[in-house]
Amino acid sequence: MAETLESQAALSTSSSTPADKDGSKICILLNATGNVPIIKKRTWTVDPNKTVSWIQKFIHKFLKLDASEQIFLYVNQTFAPAPDQIIKNLYECHGTNGKLVLYYCKNQAWG
Amino acid sequence: MAHDREVLRMIWEGQIGICFQADRDEIVGIKPEPFYLMISRLSYLPLVTDKVRKYFSRYISAEHQDGAVWFDFNGTPLRLHYPIGVLYDLLHPEEDSTPWCLTIHFSKFPEDTLVKLNSKELLESHYMSCLKEADVLKHRGLVISAMQKKDHNQLWLGLVNEKFDQFWAVNRRLMEPYGDLESFKNIPLRIYTDDDFTYTQKLISPISVGGQKKSLADLMAELSTPVRKAVGCRTHGIDLHEETQLQWMSEHLSYPDNFLHLSVDYKDV
Repeated sequence: MAETLESQAALSTSSSTPADKDGSKICILLNATGNVPIIKKRTWTVDPNKTVSWIQKFIHKFLKLDASEQIFLYVNQTFAPAPDQIIKNLYECHGTNGKLVLYYCKNQAWG
Repeated sequence: MAHDREVLRMIWEGQIGICFQADRDEIVGIKPEPFYLMISRLSYLPLVTDKVRKYFSRYISAEHQDGAVWFDFNGTPLRLHYPIGVLYDLLHPEEDSTPWCLTIHFSKFPEDTLVKLNSKELLESHYMSCLKEADVLKHRGLVISAMQKKDHNQLWLGLVNEKFDQFWAVNRRLMEPYGDLESFKNIPLRIYTDDDFTYTQKLISPISVGGQKKSLADLMAELSTPVRKAVGCRTHGIDLHEETQLQWMSEHLSYPDNFLHLSVDYKDV
């Protein structure tokens, strides 16, 4: 299913180059966990300097969550990165098979 | 194995002299004298500034009394979840030996620039996440997941109460290679350049491809590019000798969060 231009634009910066052809962008895989709504499109490409907080806000907005609800993000089901950590660092240290795997949920999952 | 106890103690006992002053716009009435305090390099601002907050709250207006506290140095808001020693080494001019002058604020928390990890609970959660990430890098997460909640609590309490023995009784397990292995899988490392808070993390093994223990010189070579060469490295206010082994550095010079926080100087080639 083709993603909308809106969702494409949200996670791409320059409009002319298709996101996945830009060598510097990082591929992230978003997995839902717990009772959070599932985002059908699981693979996204992100600017390396985007923060964890930016991704949390993106998911929050995409799922149209209430202001009182929170999104928790985990790397590989192991730890919750700090909100100001950049995706580049997480990918460098914890990326697998060319992707950074992130789990999102509405409650604290892995402590 | 972190057996060089002298070094561990010296790092643990590192302190910084700080001079806190009030935000002029928040003072009502008499201007308070600055508040001087010796603070552990290894701790976090929200953990060691209760006295400071109490002292200054008498001089500010009632509406700000319960505001979210934050600090700045020369206009730069300080990240509350960075160890104080890291903040100091990044921002404080080296030549200046006077106490580090910080301003305390009770209002207008800069939500866009500062992550609001300003309570003991939030900091503990952040600290545990740092430990988990470090353990994933060192031991695939096997050591910390085998620990009980009480061990995790002991680490946090040891840090909060500045109790070396209490802390290291548990931390030494995190500072040992796993099982029969000779070293960590990778070194938990955060690299800072200039006075930028945004650090770089890379996968750095303590062992070279040829099976030898890597030194700081090897790390600096890995960080260098054809146009920019890493020429110096500091942590805890110390200039590190380039022959220092990375495994040893990780065991002895890490902050309580189990990461090495290194300031690297570069020279354009």
